[in-house]
Amino acid sequence: MPSFPEPQWFLALGRLMEAEGALFQRLGFAETRFVVRVIPDEGANGGEKLIGLVIDGYRLSEAASVDDLDRFDPDFVICAKRSVWERMLAEIAESGRPSLRHTLSSLALVGEEMWLESSDQLREDKFYRYNQTLQELLNLASRVSG
Amino acid sequence: MGTVHIKDEERIGSEARVKLEPSVYLQKLYQTGTPDLGWMNNMAEWGIRAKPGNLGLRLKDIEIGSYGIVPDHGSDHRSMAPRGSVIPEGVPSLGFTLNEKAEVWAENAAELYEEAVARQWSSARDIPWSELKPLPDDLERAMCQLCTFLTEVEFIAADAPTRWMSHMNQDFFEVKMFLATQAMDEARHTDVFRKRALANGGGLGVASALSELSLKRIFDAPSFSAQTGRLHLLGEGFVLTLFRQGEFIAPSRVDQEIFRRCMQDESRHVGYGTMHLRAQLKANPAVAEEIHEQLDDAERILLETFSVPEQVEPMAILMGGGIKHFDKGMEMQGQLWRRIVHEYLQRCDSAGLDRRPRCILPTDFSKLFEAPQNAVVS
Repeated sequence: MPSFPEPQWFLALGRLMEAEGALFQRLGFAETRFVVRVIPDEGANGGEKLIGLVIDGYRLSEAASVDDLDRFDPDFVICAKRSVWERMLAEIAESGRPSLRHTLSSLALVGEEMWLESSDQLREDKFYRYNQTLQELLNLASRVSG
Repeated sequence: MGTVHIKDEERIGSEARVKLEPSVYLQKLYQTGTPDLGWMNNMAEWGIRAKPGNLGLRLKDIEIGSYGIVPDHGSDHRSMAPRGSVIPEGVPSLGFTLNEKAEVWAENAAELYEEAVARQWSSARDIPWSELKPLPDDLERAMCQLCTFLTEVEFIAADAPTRWMSHMNQDFFEVKMFLATQAMDEARHTDVFRKRALANGGGLGVASALSELSLKRIFDAPSFSAQTGRLHLLGEGFVLTLFRQGEFIAPSRVDQEIFRRCMQDESRHVGYGTMHLRAQLKANPAVAEEIHEQLDDAERILLETFSVPEQVEPMAILMGGGIKHFDKGMEMQGQLWRRIVHEYLQRCDSAGLDRRPRCILPTDFSKLFEAPQNAVVS
């Protein structure tokens, strides 16, 4: 079974997104390409992971490891240590969504545990324009094994 | 086909002041039974077959042939005759005064319009009101005061730009349609924050003379672009960060849902404003000074607004988690202030406006109470 943050894990989320068509159609379409950056915790083995994701309307059309950020040209990069991502996923697994102050938007607002990187504020603002879609996509993690 | 019964039909026209002359065309049609059909040979570009994309048939999908050309100068007839149609002689002018593309245009207007239509929501249906639980008195009072402020300020982003909307040449209909969605968004924001204030045992708090002054200045802006600088770049950008803070400080899932959905809407408004100013400043660099002057004044009023208890304290109480943790809340507010200033300046950069040298917003929140106003830039 694929595990976070392997591209296959995200693609599994994408399949659930399509299966949950009504939920995402009600939220409205989203068009964005972004990167999830998973930074190893201090003392942990392995390097950081960059996963490029493309949401095209109501589906996750692409999930792949990214070697060259410039070439992928994301609207924004969501950065956090692995433990922060895993805490969010654990909360989602437990109750279907992260706790109030551990949502994508809340964490990125404070900017300590999670932060955004972007070359253009206008493109970074897509994180906010499509925030509900992004959060609901991650919330599907409660139904992905691994 | 059955006859439709019309009440008091015999009275219709019995006191009419206007005499109707019969139509020559209809008389001829009635007498000969032969339709004219001349209009069939008087079409604009013909044979157009727009193809829907994966998200249906969007405005960008019909930007084809001559229909996809947005003129730099709006049509001289100044009427609502559709762009690309055959314009007859004698259409009356509606007196549009914003007839240059650069005065209103943003490259993302059509995209944002479609997105807004697709991402509409209902405050009655989509907010889980039944999950609202009683809050400690200090938190409920703080939330209600914040909702009072937001109820007070939100509708300006409908009222103010729509004053200009009726002055925009109809050839730029994409912009007008986007602004119509913005007006709808703001109606929903006004409604949802009023509902929230009245839904959990609280009520509305204190309105603000400073907020009203800020709204009046937006209302009175001398041009659409000047207003956009003031409203979209600073005002809505500030409120966008406030919504993000709201999502963060939300004491319940109800509040979180409200702020997150409003945040999404507000991002579109900021996106339009930034791109409009980018187009306007590129075409007319001299407009920068007019926008700077608006922002000089708007930043000053924002600082004054952020210097009264009913603005500062509710956020600090909500961020800290109660009056007991007021200091912690103020500390967090200080950290977030930097983000507000950072993102505002980034948006100015994105619009092509070098605001940094003239900006009077301190990057350090503590300078709001430590230094005189003319020396607050850090």
